[in-house]
Amino acid sequence: MTDASDESDAADPDVTAGDPAETGSGPSGEGGRRGTVVVPVERTPTLRATVAHAVESAASGEFSAVHFVEIASWRDGDPESEERTAEAERILERVLAWAEADLADSDADETDVTIAVDLIGSDDYLFGPDDYVSVLVEYAEENDCDAVLLDPEYTPVGNTTLLQPLEFALSNTGLAVETAPVTRPTRRERLRSEATGVRFAAMFGLSLAFYFVLGDPLYWFDWVTGVASAAIVSITLSRISFDADPALPRTPLRLARGAIYVPVLLYEIVMANLVVARVILDPRLPIEPTMNRMRVIVGSGLPLMTLANSITLTPGTLTVRARDSDLYVHSLIPWARDGLFDGSLERWTRFVYYGRSSARLPTPRERDDCAVLQGPDATEDLPIAATDGGEDATAEPTPTDGAAGDAAEVTDG
Amino acid sequence: MIDAVETVRVGLIVVFVLLGLFFSFVSMVGVLRLPDVYSRAHTASQADTLGAGFGLAAVALTVGWEGAGFKSVLLLFFIFVTNPTAAHGIARAAFEEGIVPWTEGDERR
Amino acid sequence: MTLVDATLVAGYTVADVLLYAAAGFAVLAIGMLYRAVKGPTMQDRVLAVNVLGTNTVVILGLLAAALGEPTFLDVALVYALLNFLMAIAISKFTVERGGVL
Repeated sequence: MTDASDESDAADPDVTAGDPAETGSGPSGEGGRRGTVVVPVERTPTLRATVAHAVESAASGEFSAVHFVEIASWRDGDPESEERTAEAERILERVLAWAEADLADSDADETDVTIAVDLIGSDDYLFGPDDYVSVLVEYAEENDCDAVLLDPEYTPVGNTTLLQPLEFALSNTGLAVETAPVTRPTRRERLRSEATGVRFAAMFGLSLAFYFVLGDPLYWFDWVTGVASAAIVSITLSRISFDADPALPRTPLRLARGAIYVPVLLYEIVMANLVVARVILDPRLPIEPTMNRMRVIVGSGLPLMTLANSITLTPGTLTVRARDSDLYVHSLIPWARDGLFDGSLERWTRFVYYGRSSARLPTPRERDDCAVLQGPDATEDLPIAATDGGEDATAEPTPTDGAAGDAAEVTDG
Repeated sequence: MIDAVETVRVGLIVVFVLLGLFFSFVSMVGVLRLPDVYSRAHTASQADTLGAGFGLAAVALTVGWEGAGFKSVLLLFFIFVTNPTAAHGIARAAFEEGIVPWTEGDERR
Repeated sequence: MTLVDATLVAGYTVADVLLYAAAGFAVLAIGMLYRAVKGPTMQDRVLAVNVLGTNTVVILGLLAAALGEPTFLDVALVYALLNFLMAIAISKFTVERGGVL
């Protein structure tokens, strides 16, 4: 079916073989034939959701076949056309895998819905929406499709305004047009906390001090402009910058312990930098980059940011993602990965924010809170599919109860 | 005339400048040589931060402790906070775009 | 006689050392330009431009020290702020278009 776009007419049994209404064996065959839908695809944030929607409507009996097509904006024989074709085929492969998985998950009969992928339009240059529409219509006629499902983010050739004209041009054809009712995955966290007088005062004092460092505190004009700027900054930002009031014994203590931490961190950075510099400068020494996951016990907000930034600053490890207390860390060499799992940075961060007593917790390795996601030592799958808006299906339930128990120990000790 | 303290200071300036150049060189080699965006982000965030840190430390030593020196210390601190954050932002963007990290045996470089 | 004019060896002053170092940083920045042009991904380019910006900040600092122009440090400070903002904004923008922060 993938290569069915030859000059055969619509009655060709090769094309209609997958259509149960045509062969009379479909379960819903008595209500007239169901349609076939064509979905133009491209790498977008909503692609995963669009595929899911298309397969879902097919499984609910709306369509008997779903054709995912990638419309090539290039022409065969162009420079780079081979890479772009390979890239497009990778996307199509992924779409096919998603669609088949979704179909297997749905309660519909799997033989009831046909899924096909194809790359079309690569024998011609396409300039505007009309060219795309004519290629789509040609494909729809060849494959007996009667509907088009559009990804709301579909913008071939990076043209951000194409979807509207494309929809308009399609409405002049015999095809039924629908836009998939999906939205891009957005995070709607509350960034702001409530405003209090203490936070406002702290922010005001900090920004005024910064202003006078750059300016001249003995000049009256700097006083006027400084107070005005500090007021604007603290009105707009005091709710974002602090999530807790600065308290008297705690904040100076944290600052003091932070002052102890900075030289330690600097020493670690320089030492590890030398090791990594050697790996980078000597081509004979191999690198083994892997992605890792580590569940850390430091609390959220500022402590987590401190830890993530410390991990990134220490050579060989790079925080790629911080989700709740799960850190996804990319490591360049196994030495850096082992150092990470030994958890000295995590311990120091706890020391800075919560004091000496909570620093002595088991390391992530002892807690079994770490995992290698790639390479020969891999213990878990890489959750990269979660990036397309789909559910985080590969993340297995991690032992949260263990983490909660450890957190309880923090408050006890 | 240069007294003993000044000699040490000049020596430190030269050492810091050389160290800064060395680590920036490592960062450039890494960005040019390493296989994928994640490993490049390593050297871009770390070796370069250290290189810039040493360079700015040399500047701070040269201009002294008045207003200008404080500014360069501020700059140093700022770079140490923002550089890893920026690298993390870029790596996260790459991860959410679905770029799979390079592992050994991968042809793509 | 200020510190930058102190003679180090063979007639080279501290200011000369700082200027040569600035030249070295500029050369390294040119090397980084290759990655900014070549890519292959958007993130590679942003990364290279970010490193280039950090190098520019250091060059500005070295020039401020060598030429005795403290105002260069203010320029460097603003440049560092903009550089950070650029990296964050672009990486946010490529993931969720239009949804910066």
